Amino acid sequence: MTARPTHIGAQVARVEDDRLLSGGARFAADIALPGMVEAAFYRSPLPHARIVGVGAGDALEIPGAFGPFTAGDMTDVSPYPDFDEHARPVGIFPLARERVRYAGAPIAVMVADDRYRAEDACDLLDVDLDPLDPVVTTDAALAPGAPLLYPDWPDNVVIGFPVDNPDANAEFDGRMAVSGRYEVGRHTGVPMETRGVVAEFREGRLTVWSSTQFPHIARTMLSYCLPLDENDIRVIVPDVGGGFGVKAEFYPEEVTIPWLALRLGRPVRWIEDRREHLLATCHARDLVLDLEAAVDEDGRFRAVRGMAVQDLGAAEMYPFGYSPAFTAIGHITGPYRIPHQSVGLLAVATNKTPCGAYRGFGIPEATFAIERLMDKAADRLGIGRNEIRRRNLIGQGDIPYTTSAGAIVDSGSHREAFEETVRVTAERVEHWRAVLGDDPGIRVGSGVVNYIEGVTPTYFMTTGHWTAYDSCSVRVNPDGTAVVSVGVSTSGQGLESMLTTLTAEALGVRRDQVRVVMGDTDRTPYGLGSWGSRSTNVASGALRIASDRLLEKATRIAAHLLEASPEDIEAHDGALSVRGSPGASVTWQQVATAANIRTVDLPEGVEPGLEAAATYEPPGIEHVPDEYGRVNAAATYTNASHAAVVSVDTGTGQVRMLEYIVAHDCGTVINPQIVRGQVVGGVAQGIGGALLEQLHYDEWGNPQSTSFLDYHLPGATEIPTMQVLHFESPAPAMPWGAKGAGEAGIIGPGPAIAAAVEDALSGMGVAEITRTPITAPYVLSLLPTP
Amino acid sequence: MKPVPDPAGSVAVSMEVNGRTVERTVNSRRLLADLLRDELRLTGTHLGCEHGVCGACTVLVDGQPVRSCLMLAVQADGCEVTTVEGITPKDGLSPMQQAFKDHHGLQCGFCTPGFLMTLAGVEPEDHPDEESVRELLAGNLCRCTGYEGIVDAVMAAWDRSR
Repeated sequence: MTARPTHIGAQVARVEDDRLLSGGARFAADIALPGMVEAAFYRSPLPHARIVGVGAGDALEIPGAFGPFTAGDMTDVSPYPDFDEHARPVGIFPLARERVRYAGAPIAVMVADDRYRAEDACDLLDVDLDPLDPVVTTDAALAPGAPLLYPDWPDNVVIGFPVDNPDANAEFDGRMAVSGRYEVGRHTGVPMETRGVVAEFREGRLTVWSSTQFPHIARTMLSYCLPLDENDIRVIVPDVGGGFGVKAEFYPEEVTIPWLALRLGRPVRWIEDRREHLLATCHARDLVLDLEAAVDEDGRFRAVRGMAVQDLGAAEMYPFGYSPAFTAIGHITGPYRIPHQSVGLLAVATNKTPCGAYRGFGIPEATFAIERLMDKAADRLGIGRNEIRRRNLIGQGDIPYTTSAGAIVDSGSHREAFEETVRVTAERVEHWRAVLGDDPGIRVGSGVVNYIEGVTPTYFMTTGHWTAYDSCSVRVNPDGTAVVSVGVSTSGQGLESMLTTLTAEALGVRRDQVRVVMGDTDRTPYGLGSWGSRSTNVASGALRIASDRLLEKATRIAAHLLEASPEDIEAHDGALSVRGSPGASVTWQQVATAANIRTVDLPEGVEPGLEAAATYEPPGIEHVPDEYGRVNAAATYTNASHAAVVSVDTGTGQVRMLEYIVAHDCGTVINPQIVRGQVVGGVAQGIGGALLEQLHYDEWGNPQSTSFLDYHLPGATEIPTMQVLHFESPAPAMPWGAKGAGEAGIIGPGPAIAAAVEDALSGMGVAEITRTPITAPYVLSLLPTP
Repeated sequence: MKPVPDPAGSVAVSMEVNGRTVERTVNSRRLLADLLRDELRLTGTHLGCEHGVCGACTVLVDGQPVRSCLMLAVQADGCEVTTVEGITPKDGLSPMQQAFKDHHGLQCGFCTPGFLMTLAGVEPEDHPDEESVRELLAGNLCRCTGYEGIVDAVMAAWDRSR
């Protein structure tokens, strides 16, 4: 390697920011096309009902209204294929057929000249629904004789994955068992931009603008559902106002709106409102983990066993809503040396909004359960909560370490990050106790937790179809500017900036010579989009291979132009130079002009053009688990230690975040500001889920959280100051050693805050905190009645 | 059977938007946000909730921060309206916009114009320290940043040490 300056780790401004700051960005709702009409959906007001009929009522008295369109009109539409042979087939159809299974399910759609009139028209439809008994909890769904959501099924189980591992069971002989039932409540991503779809069918081609995280997958799915070839479909992702996983689902509206454009011959726009978003965009979590650990007297965990039960809602979600629960099982032992596990899964259909992906994707649930159990074991044994972790954490000598779930931890700073977090946290607790004084009604506490996060995972267990690779093509224009197009797709994380930096690094062009193209199926190579903290790993891998190929050719051309040997050429800062001879240099423009225009200047045997393409699947990813669920499902593993410092008002039960400490290791840091932003933003979302956010249903299955008055997102006064301590353990097998950073922050807050609240209330005879959100009434309920 | 809505017709309005006089005939129920976005194509103003909580649609009306999703276009008749496009210099960024960029005060950028307009409508001296800045910002929701970069940006743009 050369010793030239590197772009890696440099703090540079994001290339996205100017347009976003000035109002110049273009989001889905900003798209307006000549002749465009707007659509509004009639959604089920009932959680469970048979559809008797949909009539126009007075809807067509609204000037310019068309419709209603229902499933019965979609005779040329195919249901989503059911790709998981182990799960019950759901046969998702864009509009409800015969039955609705959650309040908010789309039944019919109206269009009009603007959204006001389309919504008026929906209000005037004559829809006849015959109510069915709702199934509101997993217990009710699993009870004998429960009403069935899918009448063809024998019960309400979408997928069951029982695990009975004798090696794990044997560890329980003669050992102390510690058990608990841990529940992470129903909450979800809630990006500030809702979903939106705009579609136009023109000259035999369908163009769809969608706020999706996976444009190529969306195009393929459209080709499965609509009578069009993929060639006839273009999916464009405009600027996206946050995704967090909930836009990595393929939604019914993404078929219905394009279908309407085909049917009407006019462009159609649908922009979800916030109420629809809280009803019809996927929910998440809602997982109960019954977990039992076999623990030695010195606190060492030998095995965990138990069951994950997920309230999946109506199951009409693709990619699969139960995949996060599998990921939870895959992370159940965290960064601890626990030799055996035996944890199964039951995903149950209920009459609630279908669950799907949300940042963290099962790992927050797993971490909540194992960290709570570790606290409980420590308390039972009289070992300190930090000390028990110290005795169980994997260390450098253990790496590479294969967890009992089959994850191969290739690198990390598990003990180092933990010890530093413990040290800093102790100081900060001292500080806050001094600041808050000795008011007996306000008590300060802290909790430290650890986790690992598999990043860049296979998509095969989530889709039953796609796997793990992605792609990149690099082209150098005659003027020396580089165009990099990739299959990943941004929703605001800063991927353009990341790829700009890596292209400059790989090719030796200047950052301002790089143009990144993403989110357009006509202009980018096939790829799987952005989810699973994968984009940095997969895009950089493909970029590295393509860049190396391109650079090799450019080097030969430069050597020829400079009458030097290719081995002596190095590329840096927009030029290709002879090493050690600064005067002997050509610009990328000279090389690219030779390659693209003046091919008479090319050396013999070098073909015209200056571009290269590559695909990349990180090594070592397994796509199918064994009978005990073991699988190395991710390319590499980040680690972190989190600490919450809280105060608790013993009179009101109010928990206040005082400070949050994160020691985070995502391998090589490409842009420290972006990584810190991902960590801090993730922690903030995690705090929301731990303390505030709850998608509540009444006992009849009616959703109660349908606006921001009922669903409380954290604001600037609820998120504390954070300390982020960076550790860098490069991933040995990844290009540049980086590990994805997108999801990590959200994983720790639940168990860290739970432990901190218990710590604050220690000595008061408080019951164990076993669920989130940790609301004030919940805290009060844990205190012994005076 | 529900009555067929009969919006009470259209109203001629005149307002000054980003320094230019705008005259339109608008439906009486049309929101100011929709007039700005759909008719004037000033799409920097974003709609995040349409019920006045998230603050993404904040604009200035006669210099005061207002949620354009909670105000009818006809109510802005005779007013001066300023959007994010109106506070952006012809070349480059305003000092506050630059501070957001320098301090990573935005990720997806959807909420950002609302924050900028809230900040454009207040006096810095009314918000002298971090706690009061956070109070000020508590009316705007951001789902990406955890507010750290936003608070840093405001403190820097207003020359506050932390």
